[in-house]
Amino acid sequence: MAGFRSGRLDAVRAKIAALETGGREESESLSFGDPTVDRCFPGGRGLPLHRWHELGGEGMEAETAAAPAAFAALLARPLLKAGPAVWIARRDDLHPPGLAGLGFPSGGLIEVWVRDEAQALAAAEDALGASGVGAVIVEAQACDLTAGRRLQLACEKGQATGFLIARRPFGGGAAGMAGGSAAATRWSIASAPSQPAAGRPGLGPPRWRATLERCRGGRPGAWLFESPGAYSDTEIQDDAHPLRLVADLGDRQLAPAQPARPADPPVPFPVGGEDAARRRRA
Amino acid sequence: MDRAAAALGLFPGQKAADALAYVPNLVTAEAEPEADAQALLALVDWCVRFSPAVAPNPPDGLFLDVTGLAHLWGGEAALVADFRRRLARNDLPVVCGVADTPGAAWALARHGDGASLCPPGRQGEVLDHLPPSALRISEAACAQLERLGLRRIGEVRRLPRSQLARRFGLELITRLDQAMGEAPEALAFRRPANPWFDRLALAEPISSPDDLARVCGDIVERLCARLTAEGQGARRFEIAYHRVDGRPQTVEVGLAVGAREAARITRLFLPRLDQVDPGFGVEQVTLAAFEVEALSARQTALTSEPAAAGGGEIAPLVDRLANRLGAERVWTSQVVESHVPERAVARRAPLSPEPPARWDPARPRPIRLFRRPEPIEATAPVPDDPPVQFRWRGQLHRVRLAEGPERIAEEWWKAPIGAVSSTHVRDYYRVEDQAGGRFWIFRSGLYAAGAPAKWWLHGLFP
Repeated sequence: MAGFRSGRLDAVRAKIAALETGGREESESLSFGDPTVDRCFPGGRGLPLHRWHELGGEGMEAETAAAPAAFAALLARPLLKAGPAVWIARRDDLHPPGLAGLGFPSGGLIEVWVRDEAQALAAAEDALGASGVGAVIVEAQACDLTAGRRLQLACEKGQATGFLIARRPFGGGAAGMAGGSAAATRWSIASAPSQPAAGRPGLGPPRWRATLERCRGGRPGAWLFESPGAYSDTEIQDDAHPLRLVADLGDRQLAPAQPARPADPPVPFPVGGEDAARRRRA
Repeated sequence: MDRAAAALGLFPGQKAADALAYVPNLVTAEAEPEADAQALLALVDWCVRFSPAVAPNPPDGLFLDVTGLAHLWGGEAALVADFRRRLARNDLPVVCGVADTPGAAWALARHGDGASLCPPGRQGEVLDHLPPSALRISEAACAQLERLGLRRIGEVRRLPRSQLARRFGLELITRLDQAMGEAPEALAFRRPANPWFDRLALAEPISSPDDLARVCGDIVERLCARLTAEGQGARRFEIAYHRVDGRPQTVEVGLAVGAREAARITRLFLPRLDQVDPGFGVEQVTLAAFEVEALSARQTALTSEPAAAGGGEIAPLVDRLANRLGAERVWTSQVVESHVPERAVARRAPLSPEPPARWDPARPRPIRLFRRPEPIEATAPVPDDPPVQFRWRGQLHRVRLAEGPERIAEEWWKAPIGAVSSTHVRDYYRVEDQAGGRFWIFRSGLYAAGAPAKWWLHGLFP
């Protein structure tokens, strides 16, 4: 009986996955190089490509979006082999030498400076739909379901991967992280204290506390990542993933740190339980 | 006729026999008006070195539009001196005048007395002393003015206009107004013909947006067919809708790399056609292609596979974005060798060749750099040490780790020596607060006992 049930569930899951991937057999994904991270994503294979992902920050980061921008750049770095990246923003405070310090080649970056939110999303859709673009990073305040669905269709058409950095305009309203979203994953990125190597003065390699808040066909998680090659004059290897897992923060540490959101009561995340995760999704 | 002949009292229009009787050893040559016109055009083409807008004024003159370019020679006087010197070196006697209007310049050149420059807005005073023949009027009108005893333009200007028009015809009034700058005068500038040009004359004036779009597609297709046939591509297209009232409405699109695909270029034009105001109708459409360069035939795709790296639809995407948002809003950054952080980045057009230089990885730079550093209140008990805490945007940050200082001085070799000061030195520190936020802060100026140090936040590290 149990076998029959799990078999039916698998069939339904496969059907949903097929619907979500738009009928394509298998969608590519980008492994984090660490199974503890990869298994939270659909198929246990890492970050799904040809989708778009939403990244945001808390507190001051919601306005400045430095940590989410760096995290998005590092996620997108391996995708640059397929073509240049397009960075769309309303403010021109992105500093390419800083990206170069993270190993992001400035020659493969096309910067687009838009006037308003609508232009940002339209430009992102246009860039995602063009073939030959490696990654599209767009800084926008919010993305409603319709716009998100349009971005998703553009991703499927152009085979590019999108990263939407939720960024509040200076002095503006709340960033648009709440509510429904068509994104494949939703992350909250915060800077974490760095750990310099023993006996070395100064700051260590940058670290981020990355919370995977929502993942289509996967489950949430929280990790501490480090970018080992950043801001050093050692040559950055191309084949290794630019992010290294430092610690699995699990759910116990995060549950109290999570601020209460009206739409999403602070339910502690289930500790690895498949059933509980499924119930929560339902 | 040359200067020596004029000195002997000969004049143009004199019978050759009379002239020979007067000066027996006169050397005469057959008049060749066509050759003269050709020589004038050659001179006009040569004058492009002074100004892009040169209009021939047959039989023996030319107009040079020097608006806004005299400063390249260091003033109008220097421009005229250079012009005269270069022509004198070629044995071309020349008279010239500079004035606000073509009419006044013409009068100054032919009837002025060496003072060939007319101060701006003062053509009235200068012309008042010149004879009426300086007005470019017919000889009959000139002779009649003479008969009435009007020897100076000033005397003519003092007469009532209505009587002048009745007695001498509209020509005198028009020429007078043109010389004074009160009536417009169109000069036929000689411009190199653009071979990449097409024209579509319409049987009926059109004005609906659909028609404008359709005509745009048609003419782009015609020009692109020619470009394809000759293996060329263009980087800039300009379409002009000529209205029935004679005012052209132009729309321009630019491309990152040369192109000749009609559908793609039309798509770039279509969203911008709403700028076109058809007025009472458009009767003619012209399209010109600029920056035409050889473009080898390219196979766009063999299969439905996405294009290989570097190619694909990047160039069309850049064109779409640049034409929609403005070319200055789409760029790729490149390295400038400068220590001053805000000057270390330059913008270049996307898809232009990349210089080999790269930013120094040993100097960490923030990912967000504020255009203006923001003042912070910092507590730094020890001079030349990073602060232990600082307040930025109302929030207190306790420094956990710090790195630095990296001293960045101004580029003193670019400033006058008097403006260089040690207060322009910045000591940058990279600091991390308790929560993990990483900041780029600097103290401006050197440490001075007693004076409070000024601290600024210039950027954010991830």
